[in-house]
Amino acid sequence: MTETSIPAVELRDVVKRFDDVVAVDHVSLSIAPGEFFALLGPSGSGKTTTLRMIGGFELPTEGEVLIEGEPQGYKPPYQRPVNTVFQNYALFPHMTVAQNIGFGLEMQGVPKDEIRRRVSEMLEMVRLSGYERRRPHQLSGGEQQRVALARALINRPKVLLLDEPLGALDLKLRKAMQLELKAIQEQVGITFIYVTHDQEEAITMADRIAVMNKGKVLQVGTPQEVYEQPRTFFVADFIGETNFLPVRVMNLGSPVEVMTEPGARLTAAWADPALRVGVEAVMAVRPERMFLYRPNEGPTGPGWNRVEGIVQQVIYKGLAIRYEVFLAGGNHLHVHMPVGRTDTTFVRGEHVVVVWPRDAARLFRRES
Amino acid sequence: MNELLQRKPSLRAWLLLAPSILWLLIFFIIPLGIIVVYSFLERDVYGGVVWKWTLDNYRRVFDPLYFKTFLYSFWIALLTAFFSLLFGYPLAYYIATRPEKTRNALVLALMIPFWTNFLVRTYAWLTLLRTNTGLINVWLQQWGIIDKPLPLFGNTFAITLGLVYGWMPDMILPIYAALEQLDRSLLEAAEDLYASGWQVFRRVIWPLSLPGVIAGTMLVFIPSLGAFVTPAILGGGKRLMIGNVITNQFLGAHDWPFGSALSVLMMAVMLVATLIYFRTGGEEARRGGLG
Repeated sequence: MTETSIPAVELRDVVKRFDDVVAVDHVSLSIAPGEFFALLGPSGSGKTTTLRMIGGFELPTEGEVLIEGEPQGYKPPYQRPVNTVFQNYALFPHMTVAQNIGFGLEMQGVPKDEIRRRVSEMLEMVRLSGYERRRPHQLSGGEQQRVALARALINRPKVLLLDEPLGALDLKLRKAMQLELKAIQEQVGITFIYVTHDQEEAITMADRIAVMNKGKVLQVGTPQEVYEQPRTFFVADFIGETNFLPVRVMNLGSPVEVMTEPGARLTAAWADPALRVGVEAVMAVRPERMFLYRPNEGPTGPGWNRVEGIVQQVIYKGLAIRYEVFLAGGNHLHVHMPVGRTDTTFVRGEHVVVVWPRDAARLFRRES
Repeated sequence: MNELLQRKPSLRAWLLLAPSILWLLIFFIIPLGIIVVYSFLERDVYGGVVWKWTLDNYRRVFDPLYFKTFLYSFWIALLTAFFSLLFGYPLAYYIATRPEKTRNALVLALMIPFWTNFLVRTYAWLTLLRTNTGLINVWLQQWGIIDKPLPLFGNTFAITLGLVYGWMPDMILPIYAALEQLDRSLLEAAEDLYASGWQVFRRVIWPLSLPGVIAGTMLVFIPSLGAFVTPAILGGGKRLMIGNVITNQFLGAHDWPFGSALSVLMMAVMLVATLIYFRTGGEEARRGGLG
């Protein structure tokens, strides 16, 4: 991604209102050419509406959508250099696979010979050669998905829009298709904008993710950035598993100092700029960044947070052991300890100390 | 008994079907059989039948007088089906694309005319269309738009109008049902794939609504072919359809064998027309995408 090139897609302060409901609330995004970009959020977060505005199926109430630097205005879908893979595939049930895939070229008046050649190329790419004469209802979900992808990609769009394309597939097939989609995207080099509510899917496939909630974009970044450096409570909560420990802000210097309910002093690497000294806040720490030690063992010093507790539950999960630890003051923490890295295991009821580095701790405003 | 039924599911199915089979047998199959048998018998002078086998009735059917009426009825039924489709399809499409509440209200509105007897409604058309005293001609003359009354009555126009009016809901409902099930995202997909408004209709909407179009066309064509109330009233006694001829054989001329022969022939024509239509229509629906 180079800063000087024209973005493949740009949204400038886009708002979409349906009657009184604000579906998309002042969204600005810039998506680079060739990027695999995910719009991630729960249902009703405005991610699909955002995608539909890029595709031309909805028009923004305010703001502007640009594709390759060109404002799209009121252009209908067929005048935009984008194609869409729909949520339920939307394959034409009365046409064969070949007719479905060739439809876009046929509508553009491409000669029949060329259509036939390019359809078989596409079928080869999605590994469905020999399926030309089948009908959509004779295909499995995964095969229908690939036909929908081929039907869109054959038009060589500048940008491909995908609306939860794997939503209807079972878990195993979804995992396989994730890798396949990613490989196809790298092969064709087209910008993909991918809507999903599945954070794992977004992290696996995307170059960058925009996390959305209630019509707003909360954070844009690489999967690593949004996972490791979430900027809001919602992002930390929505992506991956996180421990939230209620605290009170004591000092907003560097490091940030806070106090837990029973009176333990903890430090964090980052705090929401809106926080003030004396207010209540939550400290977020990923379970895999925490360690368990017997009391009076483990690292100490200014870079480390230590809290005492009692092991409540031990669950063996193969790669890791998941401990649930109850703290004095009624809170509890989940700790993931990788299996094989340490000989020490703990049993239920054992007194332990939970230790985590300051770098792993981020401080957010409380959200309901 | 219970145990027997448990062991023999087919017996259970037959028991459940028995009432409807019995009903169809007594009120459908047997009368049909009587008509077929009568059509091969001779009439007697008092309106009954003489049990003497003959093919004379069928010979008479192809008398140019009756055969022309047959062709005319066929033409009227075709016109009725065509105009019902022409006017009904856009209306069905309009209803199917409204929000659900409006949709239900509009379908109900479509049904409201059925609350009044068909005969009464046809007479209502009579008061509008009659040549000299019909309201349309009277008003148009009063306002000075026309000098002489328009030929609105006692012709093909009047009969077709009456039939289209009467049967159009039967065209609209099956088309509406097909269009209502149409997945909106298919239209968006076609639009996304560079199809113009007309192409979206021709390549996606029309082929997917064909089952409704076929059902609706048959539902309008068949009763129109056998119509007798509408031509009797709006034909003004000048234009007859085969339904009027048949009615007359049974009620006026007391020639039941000939009336039966006409009925059998009409059923045969309908059957053949239906089969051909469904065959070609089904083909088109399957082919649909090729265009």
